[in-house]
Amino acid sequence: MLKIDKLSKSFGGILATDNVSLELKPNSINALIGPNGAGKTTLFNLITGKIDIDEGQIFIDNTNITNLKESEITHLGIARAFQITNIFSTLSVQDSIKVALLAKQHGLNNMWNRFKAHSINKEAESIAKLSGLTKSYNTISSALSHGDQKLLDIALALALKPKVLLLDEPTAGMGPEERWKMIDRIQKLWKKTKMTVLFIEHDMDIVFDIAQNIYVLQQGAIIAEGTPKEIKSNKKVIKAYLGGGKK
Amino acid sequence: MNLLKKDNFQRDVFLGLLVWFMLIIFYYILPDPGIHDIIQKVFILGLFAMSLNILIGYLGLIAFGHAAFFASGAYTLGLFLQSDFVLNLAGFSIPVAIVLAVLVSSILATLIGVICIRLKDIYFSFLTLAFQMLIYSIILALVNITGGDQGLMGGFPKPPFLGIDLGKPFDFYAFTIFISIITIVLLRQLIESPFGYGLRMIRDNSERPAALGFNNQKHKLIAFIIAGSIAGLAGSLQALLDVGAYPEWAFWSKSAEPLFMILLGGMHSFLGPLMGALIFEILNDFVTANTRYYGLVLGLVILCFVLGLKKGLLDWLLIKLNRK
Ligand SMILES: Nc1ncnc2c1ncn2[C@@H]1O[C@H](COP(=O)(O)OP(=O)(O)OP(=O)(O)O)[C@@H](O)[C@H]1O
Ligand SMILES: [Mg+2]
Repeated sequence: MLKIDKLSKSFGGILATDNVSLELKPNSINALIGPNGAGKTTLFNLITGKIDIDEGQIFIDNTNITNLKESEITHLGIARAFQITNIFSTLSVQDSIKVALLAKQHGLNNMWNRFKAHSINKEAESIAKLSGLTKSYNTISSALSHGDQKLLDIALALALKPKVLLLDEPTAGMGPEERWKMIDRIQKLWKKTKMTVLFIEHDMDIVFDIAQNIYVLQQGAIIAEGTPKEIKSNKKVIKAYLGGGKK
Repeated sequence: MNLLKKDNFQRDVFLGLLVWFMLIIFYYILPDPGIHDIIQKVFILGLFAMSLNILIGYLGLIAFGHAAFFASGAYTLGLFLQSDFVLNLAGFSIPVAIVLAVLVSSILATLIGVICIRLKDIYFSFLTLAFQMLIYSIILALVNITGGDQGLMGGFPKPPFLGIDLGKPFDFYAFTIFISIITIVLLRQLIESPFGYGLRMIRDNSERPAALGFNNQKHKLIAFIIAGSIAGLAGSLQALLDVGAYPEWAFWSKSAEPLFMILLGGMHSFLGPLMGALIFEILNDFVTANTRYYGLVLGLVILCFVLGLKKGLLDWLLIKLNRK
């Protein structure tokens, strides 16, 4: 589905992405883990074309997307939610989802319909339902709880009906209970939509619970990959990452 | 009355025509040329301010050179009506002159917009200002064509068309307000369309749209061109009113006027800038009649709005009404 081949990126002197290769299987759910500053978000930024690639190539379904523009890559089926919520503060949940739906169909150039009466309303409702935002459907984004803002960020990505969904710390800033609710939601989403999911997460219990496949990033490089079982017993990972947390 | 309940284009056309009729009745009820003059100026300046508010209120871009388009509309209309084309076109002269004024302003807006739209925040503001001052210098430099600092000299003919004679006060009043209202109704359609929500989206967060597969720059450019075109229309109406065009209309202080109107009336309600133009014109009229310190009074009033209401008057009123 998504294939990354020997990808590298440096900022000044820092190698933020170091010769990363990986391939996500269709309809799989995968986790990307690693300490702060390991280069997880940078990898997402490279995949989505938000920042330029130094070296390497990226493919989606065998289409080479290396060096395409962010908006072009989005239209080829990659959507993301952000680590720091990235939403439209004065728009309601409903209107936010609708602009995302219309953006995907190039419908925002339309000047002759009324946005409020647009036939896309039904679809927006179903995206809100899928994201668990039915109750706050008419709330202005800036007035939503932190958790709902995170959900809206994901809903915007879902509205694009992506083949590959990238989630950057969907549970960031949440308490334990809210966290598991979010994870539940993501798992359901993934089962329902048959997307390929790659998520970044710091909570190991969550990662081991729902990921089929885990990539461990350290100082820009992938130091291990495998099933939860394999990762749990990987010496490198225990030494570099998991061990550190237990002390 | 079902027509009034639905917020759609038909309703706006209906309301627009209704307001137009009422203003025409008002013309006969209150036969005071001074007041008629204020009303038509409010609409002309209101168009100018509303066009700027597409950029400020809906796109979040503080354009500081909007008078460039006002002036280009005014000079295009004036120069065209002074030319020999009028002899051949006769009754079509004025409609053609207005269309041409809008067209030239839209072309100018395209040229300036392509460059300015790439910049953000203060850099965008400064560049629009720089382009405007360039236009100002060009107007001053081309003395043979524009009359330089004297403005377009010698007036121009206003041949009647479709039975409308803009030389007559009533015809001018009805025509100007009609054109303004139609433009405002179309502008509201634009603002309430998916395109208009694209503007709000960019204003709220200019980073996310690319991750939704959206091209900000193209959208911003189209908005800039539309804003410039409407400013050009306002300028052409002003030129018709004054039977001339003046370089001050391209000076930076002319760009500040619609900004004041937006501040006074409110940038978050569709008709806020029009209300601002009304306050501006009333102040202008009554204050200049009574004191020489117009600038001082205007400054104090704006200070009251900014510090007291913390928003424009219409924004403030609508919030009050919604709370009830
Ligand atoms: N635009 C940028 N310019 C310069 N340096 C950057 C930029 N983006 C990231 N970096 C650097 O690259 C490294 C990786 O950052 P990145 O944000 O990808 O880490 P991360 O794994 O997502 O960390 P976290 O868990 O804290 O979110 C860091 O050293 C960071 O300072
Ligand atoms: Mg990160």
